[in-house]
Amino acid sequence: MSEEGRLSVGLISCSGEACPGGTISRLATQKVLRSIRPGYNFVTICLPLFMAGGEEERNFARDYPTITIDGCEKCCALKATEALSGPVSGKVVVTDLIAKEDIGEGTLSIRELTGEQKAMVDHVAAAILEQVTKIKQEG
Amino acid sequence: MAAKYVILPCNGLDKEAGCLARELALKMAAAMDGEIICPVLYQTAPSRYASLLQEGNLIVIDGCATRCASRIAANNNLKISRKITMAEEAKKRDYNPGPDWRLGAGAAAFVEDVWRSWQPVFMEQGAGRASEENTGLFAGPVEYAIHRHDKFIFRVPLEGFYFNENDCWVQVEGNRGRVGISDYLQQNLSDITFVTPPDPGTEVEQFGEMGTIESAKAVYELVSPVTGRVVAINEAVLEAPELINENPYEKGWIAELELTNFEADREFLLDGRRYLEVLKEKVADFNAGK
Repeated sequence: MSEEGRLSVGLISCSGEACPGGTISRLATQKVLRSIRPGYNFVTICLPLFMAGGEEERNFARDYPTITIDGCEKCCALKATEALSGPVSGKVVVTDLIAKEDIGEGTLSIRELTGEQKAMVDHVAAAILEQVTKIKQEG
Repeated sequence: MAAKYVILPCNGLDKEAGCLARELALKMAAAMDGEIICPVLYQTAPSRYASLLQEGNLIVIDGCATRCASRIAANNNLKISRKITMAEEAKKRDYNPGPDWRLGAGAAAFVEDVWRSWQPVFMEQGAGRASEENTGLFAGPVEYAIHRHDKFIFRVPLEGFYFNENDCWVQVEGNRGRVGISDYLQQNLSDITFVTPPDPGTEVEQFGEMGTIESAKAVYELVSPVTGRVVAINEAVLEAPELINENPYEKGWIAELELTNFEADREFLLDGRRYLEVLKEKVADFNAGK
């Protein structure tokens, strides 16, 4: 479960082409991935590749604790991961944390995020890290 | 607008190239009133996009060489109208996608430049599609020579066509040349599944790259037999790549060029009769396992 004494955790984010929450989930996942958190090794799994038949990705999600991050209640990332690799260790759904109407409508460019949306990214990133902590505590 | 487009970009979370693919998709969708297909939602709920895919031309945008979006399209037997790979676009422009997913000004300028280069292909003006008027300029071959080997029959037009040793041909009329691949090459490639022609307006050198052809067996880089500027591409082979298998010298032409140096280019080309001899040698070598 560990690499050089660090806990490897898989992060599978929704794609975000169909809802603005997806952009938030992508960015929050990236934020966690780039964050420096001693003792952890974060690995993102490209969801389309995972679904298109990437065996390495599927095996990783099977063998390591994995958190799905979904933009909306469709929970594409969660459903795909459970179907292809089994139960997840943690899940975050953006619309559970932030009201849909606050996120807005349509697809979002990474470059066009408002200050409020950037704060949403931070909020979701924090929720992902909470799940990470929970996984660590549960051993 | 020439057509309704639907865009399938890669998710691109892992690499900046993927984030760039998504940004290009957003730009294209806004400019062309196109629709974006979420690669993930498409796989969990394909019926959501069924009517869109039936009505529109599909553009696939991959981020990196893993080509996830292309794989999704292939796995679902989707007919692709155009493919763009951001890693290749970056290579053409000497742009190095970095690890920073936040996409700074350099990335934005790069996406803008990629869109500018593709825009004429998708928009009606300057699309460079072959029109009915110019298709009459090039008559089909009058006479074919036939070379038989076992169950295989290879055809070579004897007049009006010139070949390079890479099995690509040019049919010349005045200062215009239509280019394609030979019957021998199409049989070697087997079932052709996708054609990426050069973009209209592209300046092509003799023996330079002139697009690619993908078949069940391989991806083949087309080697231009002539120098010139691409003035039209064959829309029909984009829609039905199998035309190249069925009729490589007529319906299966790939691009039309305004020739700029044909007299000099011809020195390095073979006419039909000489190419037939080369073809025979190739067939014999192939048979001998060379």
